[in-house]
Amino acid sequence: MLDSRPRILSVGTANPPERYRQEDLLERYRVEDPRLRSLFTSSHIRTRHLYLAPAGADGAPHESQGELLKKHRNGAMEIGPQAVTKCLEPLGLTVKDIDYLCCITTTGFLAPGLTALLMKEMGFREDCSRADIVGMGCNAGLNGLNPVASWAMANPGKNALMVSIEICSAAYVFDYTMRTAIVNSLFGDGAAAVLVRASERDEAAFAPKILGFNSHIIPSAVGAMRFDWDDDAGKFSFFLDRDIPYVVGANAERPLGRLLAAHGLKRRNISHWLVHSGGKKVVDAIKYNIGISEWDVRHTHSVLRDYGNLSSGSFLFSYERLLHEGRVKRGDYGVMMTMGPGSTIETALIRW
Amino acid sequence: MYETLTFEDGGDVATIVLRRERINVRQIRELEKVCDHLEDTSAAKVVVIRGRSLGIDFADFDPKEALDIHGFNKWEKLVSRIERLPQVTLFAVDGACVGGGFQLLLACDLRVCTPDTAFSLPEVKLGFLPGMATFRLAKYVGLGHAKRLMLTGAALGAEDALRLGVVDSVGADLDATVASSLAALGPMSAVAGTLARRLLNESFHTEPEDAIGHFLAAQHRAISQAVFLDTLKKERG
Repeated sequence: MLDSRPRILSVGTANPPERYRQEDLLERYRVEDPRLRSLFTSSHIRTRHLYLAPAGADGAPHESQGELLKKHRNGAMEIGPQAVTKCLEPLGLTVKDIDYLCCITTTGFLAPGLTALLMKEMGFREDCSRADIVGMGCNAGLNGLNPVASWAMANPGKNALMVSIEICSAAYVFDYTMRTAIVNSLFGDGAAAVLVRASERDEAAFAPKILGFNSHIIPSAVGAMRFDWDDDAGKFSFFLDRDIPYVVGANAERPLGRLLAAHGLKRRNISHWLVHSGGKKVVDAIKYNIGISEWDVRHTHSVLRDYGNLSSGSFLFSYERLLHEGRVKRGDYGVMMTMGPGSTIETALIRW
Repeated sequence: MYETLTFEDGGDVATIVLRRERINVRQIRELEKVCDHLEDTSAAKVVVIRGRSLGIDFADFDPKEALDIHGFNKWEKLVSRIERLPQVTLFAVDGACVGGGFQLLLACDLRVCTPDTAFSLPEVKLGFLPGMATFRLAKYVGLGHAKRLMLTGAALGAEDALRLGVVDSVGADLDATVASSLAALGPMSAVAGTLARRLLNESFHTEPEDAIGHFLAAQHRAISQAVFLDTLKKERG
């Protein structure tokens, strides 16, 4: 029987060249308020890769919305192509082989979007189809993978490439308030690309099949995570409600239960958990609500520790670490889980 | 359908009786099957495991094959599954609790025995390790007693086991002892119970800065459940 389900054949990631410890930022921007300082130093994040502006005379970085948008574009065109190349090289593919390109970002609005810019920058074929998913937040990697997988399934043998590019340092408002410090202490810059293809020729490849997705939206928490205009700052600003980690945790069983039930599986059948590195609190809430262990979220934690929250690409950094670990066996099931504005939880089931 | 044990599950209490005194591959498989049922379909709130256990039956393993580490991994996975069952677990030991049986007992929430029961971990004397009891035992009895028991392989009598906290109660009539333990447990929230057990099991090796986050996540789950919402309603009048 022809099995038309697509596989994730490769992953590649990239980050900006400059890496900062949390203490470096406090020093650079002269953050002295102990409450703000403790947000940075107790957040279970050690380092992040960021594009940081120099400090002004008062210690703070001063970037207009226009400058932040330029940073988003320039940063995306630096690390996006690196992630794509790292993803394609192991397969012996080049951008000329790509038939469908999907780019995901929340850190800046551009028209034409990142797909068009990447295609020009890297020389994709002119007949490559494309889609931009903009503004869906941390969960968007799975909102993107869902249509990418469908496209791959509808076009057997063709190469679909999904690229998440988040320049979170282009979403900075630095005003020494708790609201912005929560955000500025958490998010990092990074890009991750995956190649998805449905082909019988890949039957022997050690690459997981994408078996299905399940979504969950919590309309009552629509305002709990948002990236909206701040009139006072004259910039977009990200807001995170303090209760949202727990609300997300309490809802996590629902999409997971539906996803597993649809495939006749139990939680104990899942060997690998790829949970979005949203922050320490939300990962704890997920752990205790769906009953998975600290070990199950080891990559989630280590990605958070080394990179911060990379928004839509985080879970792909965990996926890359899982592969490098060399522990995955043929037949193993994995669950991918991302959460973000909506408020929403997205899940996917994969099998090697 | 079970050869090494009997399993009954009807009301609030499910009961496993170990019919084989030495743990073999078949018994591990059958216990896994029982766990499948308890996790997936059982309505039981408590699981009682009864029997005596003399440890792992090496004679039952293929003598032509070297014993590899994967069999031990299977055993440990089973023990930690029993430790995390959605039900409260009670191990009622009658007469002997040696090696693997002792290891399994330490994974259970409540533990009772008859006065003539002797507990021992002879593994180290035999040249191997008593499984993850190396991590569990000291949590019950303290490091000093754990070292003595493991290194000497000495038998621990029922009264000493009670004194050290290996068991919660000792009684000649095991049925009556089990019944009074279950009565003392009373009705409870399964969610709060299993969350409390998980935090306790993790309590010895969780960093203080992580512990508060784990607690808050668990507490949020507990206070979202119907049982707590009812309590709140009653308390507030």
